Amino acid sequence: MSCPFLDYRLEANERQFDEPRAYCEAAARFVQPMRADICNDRYDLAHDSDCEIYLEHAGAADENEGKNEREPKNGTGNRSGDGDENRAGSGEDA
Amino acid sequence: MSYAEFLAGEPVIVTAALTGGVHGKETTPHLPETPEEIGKAAAEAEAAGAAVVHVHARQPNGERTFATERFQEIDDAIRRRAEDVIIQHSTGGTGAPDAARHLPLRTDPAPEMASLDMGPLNRYDHLTSENTRGLVDSLHAEMVERGVKPELELFNDGHLNEALGLLDRRDLADPVYGTLIFGPGTLTPPTPRNFLTAIDNLPAGAQFNTLGFGRHQLPFATMGLLFGGHVRVGLEDNVYYRQGELATSNAQLVERVVRIADELGRPVATPSQAREILGL
Repeated sequence: MSCPFLDYRLEANERQFDEPRAYCEAAARFVQPMRADICNDRYDLAHDSDCEIYLEHAGAADENEGKNEREPKNGTGNRSGDGDENRAGSGEDA
Repeated sequence: MSYAEFLAGEPVIVTAALTGGVHGKETTPHLPETPEEIGKAAAEAEAAGAAVVHVHARQPNGERTFATERFQEIDDAIRRRAEDVIIQHSTGGTGAPDAARHLPLRTDPAPEMASLDMGPLNRYDHLTSENTRGLVDSLHAEMVERGVKPELELFNDGHLNEALGLLDRRDLADPVYGTLIFGPGTLTPPTPRNFLTAIDNLPAGAQFNTLGFGRHQLPFATMGLLFGGHVRVGLEDNVYYRQGELATSNAQLVERVVRIADELGRPVATPSQAREILGL
């Protein structure tokens, strides 16, 4: 099962792509490809234990469930304003 | 390696890390993702002075893949445009099963080089790329079997101990080649003192490559040049040319470090010279 905050979009935030890319509805932005593996529970990864954005937003989503029923989509989330995500060369797996 | 090698004017091997597996086009539109884009970037980097290209594989939407077939597509795309450049595959992969980490070694022909992560590395808030000694040994065994030169990825000083341990456990061909990595998080803190200490702690006779993440790329590449080391630049590790200005290509970053090497009197190694230096 993938993260309920994950969506695949061609366009958002004034960005356009040729292929649909992983977009986090919780963070309201496209996510890094490696983060998308967490969103999709791919390999040995799981959004409900490995993604801090999901963990941060899941509780709030649960609270709102009764008032504003949300259809889970395929996918995951990312923390908005997560500086590490967009920092040049913060990466690894070199 | 030391300042003496710099004074002796030994050639420097420039590696271009073209794409990586962490960020993608959502971070910079200039980052190559598809095999054709990576092949074109490799040719441009070689023309700019890179002797080695370090590659990861991606799906069409930019997400990671470890599939041999995708690495094969990338290698074929590179070879159509750059016959001589040394291809180095990444075997890194946070969260990937150990079996998947072997797949990049199985192209035909095998890559001349491949990365070998020497120990654990934290990522985001809840992930660790474990890189157990068992995995390191099994990857190294397959590299030996397939004639692949390992590039030891030394994310921090503890990994220098791990390299020494690997040398105790296994027979590595000379020269040992390791990349000293500086930056945030689990990486060695990027200070000149730490750089000098890391050089002092390298295994005897080792050749070193210098990698600074983000804004540390250029100053650490320059230090690498001054202390007789080799250098790695590219959009995998740094997407900016200067503060607030995205680099427009991998070749642009290669051109800059080649220019600095030239000013400092370090000749830039051709792929053939790099093969000789590395014992490929």
